[in-house]
Amino acid sequence: MSPVLILILLPITSGVLISLLRGKSGSLARTISLILHFAAVAIAVSSFVQLGKAPVNADGVAFAFIRDWIPSLGIQFYFGFDSVNAPLVLMSSIVCFAAVCCSEKIKDREATYYSLLSFMSAGVIGAFCSFDIFSFYFFHELALVPTFILIGGWGAGPQRKYATYKITLYLTGGALVALLGIVLLYINSNAETFNMFSILAAVAKSPLSESTQNMIFPLLLFGFGVLVSLWPFHTWAPLGYGHAPTGVAMIHAGALKKFGLYGLLRVAIPALPLGSQNWVSVITLLCTGNLILIGLAAMRQRQLHMLIGFSSVAHMGFVFLGLAAYNIIGITGALLIMVAHGFLAALSFGLAGSLRDYHPDLEMSKMGGILKQAPFLGFGLAIAFLAGCGVPGFANFAGELLIFFGSWTELPKPYVILAVWSGLIIGGVYMLRAIRKVLHGSINDTWKNLEDVKGMQKLAFSMLILALVIFGIVPGSITTPAQAPLTKLVEQVDSQRENKTAFKQESNPLKSDQTLVSSLDHQK
Amino acid sequence: MDNPTWIDNTVWLIFCLPLIMALVIRFLTGGLPKASAFISCLSTTISFALSVAVFLSMKHDVHAALPWVSIEGFQASIGIDINRLSILMLMVVTGVATAVFFFSRTYMGKDPDISRYYASLNLFVFSMLGIVVADNLVQMFIFWELVGVSSFLLIGFWYQKAAPANACKKAFLANRLGDFGFILGIIIVWAHSGVLGFTELKEFFHGDEESWLSVAGVLLFCGAVGKSAQFPLHVWLPDAMEGPTPVSALIHAATMVAAGVFMLCRISFMLTGSAMDVIAWIGGITALLAALMALQQDDIKRILAYSTLSQLGYMVMAVGIAVPQAAMFHLTTHAFFKALLFLCAGAVIYSTHHEQNIWKMGGLRKTMPLTFRLFLIGTLALCGVFPFSGFYSKDAIIAAAQGAHPVLFVISLFVAFLTSFYMFRLIAVVFFNKGRTEHAQESVEAPLSMTIPLVALAVPSVMAGWIDFESFLGPFFHSAEHHHGEHHAGGGVLFGPFVHSPLPAFIGSFIALLGAVLAFQIYSKVDEDPFVERAGFVSWVLGGKFFLDEIYRVIIACTHDLIAKISAWFDRALLSGFIVKGSQGIVEFTGRALRLLQTGNLQTYAMWFFIGLSILIFLLTSDTKTISQ
Repeated sequence: MSPVLILILLPITSGVLISLLRGKSGSLARTISLILHFAAVAIAVSSFVQLGKAPVNADGVAFAFIRDWIPSLGIQFYFGFDSVNAPLVLMSSIVCFAAVCCSEKIKDREATYYSLLSFMSAGVIGAFCSFDIFSFYFFHELALVPTFILIGGWGAGPQRKYATYKITLYLTGGALVALLGIVLLYINSNAETFNMFSILAAVAKSPLSESTQNMIFPLLLFGFGVLVSLWPFHTWAPLGYGHAPTGVAMIHAGALKKFGLYGLLRVAIPALPLGSQNWVSVITLLCTGNLILIGLAAMRQRQLHMLIGFSSVAHMGFVFLGLAAYNIIGITGALLIMVAHGFLAALSFGLAGSLRDYHPDLEMSKMGGILKQAPFLGFGLAIAFLAGCGVPGFANFAGELLIFFGSWTELPKPYVILAVWSGLIIGGVYMLRAIRKVLHGSINDTWKNLEDVKGMQKLAFSMLILALVIFGIVPGSITTPAQAPLTKLVEQVDSQRENKTAFKQESNPLKSDQTLVSSLDHQK
Repeated sequence: MDNPTWIDNTVWLIFCLPLIMALVIRFLTGGLPKASAFISCLSTTISFALSVAVFLSMKHDVHAALPWVSIEGFQASIGIDINRLSILMLMVVTGVATAVFFFSRTYMGKDPDISRYYASLNLFVFSMLGIVVADNLVQMFIFWELVGVSSFLLIGFWYQKAAPANACKKAFLANRLGDFGFILGIIIVWAHSGVLGFTELKEFFHGDEESWLSVAGVLLFCGAVGKSAQFPLHVWLPDAMEGPTPVSALIHAATMVAAGVFMLCRISFMLTGSAMDVIAWIGGITALLAALMALQQDDIKRILAYSTLSQLGYMVMAVGIAVPQAAMFHLTTHAFFKALLFLCAGAVIYSTHHEQNIWKMGGLRKTMPLTFRLFLIGTLALCGVFPFSGFYSKDAIIAAAQGAHPVLFVISLFVAFLTSFYMFRLIAVVFFNKGRTEHAQESVEAPLSMTIPLVALAVPSVMAGWIDFESFLGPFFHSAEHHHGEHHAGGGVLFGPFVHSPLPAFIGSFIALLGAVLAFQIYSKVDEDPFVERAGFVSWVLGGKFFLDEIYRVIIACTHDLIAKISAWFDRALLSGFIVKGSQGIVEFTGRALRLLQTGNLQTYAMWFFIGLSILIFLLTSDTKTISQ
């Protein structure tokens, strides 16, 4: 049996087993999900390590598992690993395990909580293992709905209900728009299958007309964009994460959110190179919003978890920048940040969660000296803050560096430079201010009985830190194997974009004017 | 012994040993402060010995690299590139580090967190060596940032107190501001040349004078402005004195701040004429401003900090006037005598129960005779008195300034005068007269464990100038376009300066003596600074460091924080409020629908979800030809 299939089945089994318990024993539910999630981590790590040696099929996919699901629509279960999704699956499985570990303080309806959390991780892992766009989407929805229920049922904070509605509204809306885009792509590609590789092959052979591309791409861009908190559709994120239970914020911000980016990287842009080209300036402008405006807003946050929420939105700006550039350096950087940010977001939200378990108010000016009071917790937060402002030695740095280099040659320069530059300075400012307020200084009365993290939580945080460091020191373990599939994607995009340029040069002035007019019409 | 693989492996070992030590201390000996201190001292001594061995057995340059990230068009590696420049720097860094590591054992002996101290110090040495051996710009940038981080950890070593915690934040941010100029410069160079390695870049550049290259050169220099604390980003260095004194000696005097100068020497082949002009003037301005500020400081460490700024200004100016070998020469001698001065100051602070105000000391010449003599040696070297090391290196710079620009020449002479004035002010107040407080009167000579490293540093502080740096570093810079050409003159190395550039050598010596005598006349018999009364306004401006800190604070408050306030408001009011409340109706509707779904029954939920999806798919696809096959 394919290890990838086992990887998906493990959390599903956990969810089903726990729901069969019908709420009888909370600690049993926790034990079951801990064991099964840990097994998933073990399998993900071993498959990731073996990936280079494993035999691959014609699509370059190892450990493939293919079964028909809805044959009339060409929908399959197509699970497997290639060097692009493997690091994401590895990251997701570790993040999901860490989320289970950090749910220790949940005592209310425990069994239901753990079963929903297990379905959430099944959805995340399933989505990234899928090479069928429909099942990719299906698994994302499978994870999304428990997210809403968990925030509504187990969340904390004064605006819990509002936050739940808001996150539900935004994410459902975004997902529906993206679905519309996917279905239109499916119809127009004439591939008669949802298989990712077949659709890309079909549009490479007979590209969609530019007007069709212009129509479909914004649906995918904004649909996926909302899911990834692209400015100005980000407002659900800090609020939602601020009110979500710790484990849910970890899985969503860390892993599930990367769904939209993965969709853009792997499907939307390569399938619609001309459509995306017309939107590059818009993407660039919006990600400037993420980098500068959200960064500045983060500077003004007084609550630690809100700061983390805003900074995680700001980081998405880098990935969008890499995607906008869409050259090999840029998207390699984007992939690396997707993985790195997963670990980082899970670590930050997890640590903020353990502080919150002690005291609900995370007002930073009332904190201080945490590093002395709780050395491991403080150490973890210091790592999270430093990694978050792009210090070398952590995976985020390598990704940001690549995006710097990648976006330089591709994009309109002045405001990209400004965005990246001030994004990093601003990131440094608020992260350092947070270190000063939260970790340094003398301990505040409210926090003087804070206990350091231990047990499973400590294990979870150590794993996340270790992952950040390992991929920071040897980013090549992700970037080098990913070159082949990523180069293929870039080539597909470039060939169509170049053809268009060549075509325009050859055609007579009248015709090129018409193209211009029609493309303007579509932009309206 | 001279085969390249031996050197290769040894350099990797020197490079990685501090990292290994940092990890060992963090994970194994964290609870055993004595063990941590012992293994750190041992390993750094080994590193230094190996560096010297490599230097002695090296016949030609050595180069090796491991890939870090390799993508088509972007090849970054972690490598070692050992040449005349880097082997010199390798010895300076490990040598000063050894003295500081030994000194710290006693100085920090009573601190409960001594393991964390040594772990951070080791991390710092590792990062610094990474810059030194770097074979490409990306590696240099990586370790450049790491040096910033480890310096942040060390300045903020006593992070529970407000002042060090603020100081480390300030240092990190000021460095960061410069660093992003640096990375931008790297990207521009890469975008035009397509390569990142120094060897490849050297082949690419042939002294071209192009505008993009000037821009890149100035941006690269931004990195040095941050790290070497040049005007206008110099404000972090005096504050960094909040860290433990041995740290100030190692990082903020001898090595880290010199990294900027080292980097400029490393990339000197890329610098265009206009970029060099900017560098020379920034260096000159920094040297002058910092020397002026040092005149009216009362904290012993801060006086030394401003003198460091000023000397770094000299070195940067040297790069700017196309004598990088003189910059490296001064960097080397300065590393020894400034580390010596800082550690002596540490011994003084240690003996006077952590007193740092010079006006609360006095008469220490009698109670701490050995420290006094060593401090005097350091001071004479710093002031450039013949035949101490500083005389030769400073003379090399002043002589070059004479040929480069008359204003820079005058500045460099005037700074030399100021230097000896404020240093002898310090000596007169601290070591002469009589003890002004009980602590000063009761002070005793520091223990041997502290004075031995001082003696070890005093030797090169005296003699390092007798080495012929010109001919040692000449071959490295010779290929550079802006090299002035070798000048050989009689008089040997010892008296050379008086023979080949008599004017700067004689004026320099005279001016240094003048400053010393003047300072001694004014300060040797007073208990408070007479300058404050006689020239109140000037003293106020100098003591207030030209109020640059205050000006920056206002600028930051007016721009940065205001913009942040506006965008936070924008985020809340416009986006969260307006858009979402506008769709309140939908929210309510969805809320109800959700409540219906939230029956807790998963199966029901999954069914609904699946039915919904299927209907949607069906509706969207049923009327197209795709499924009507």
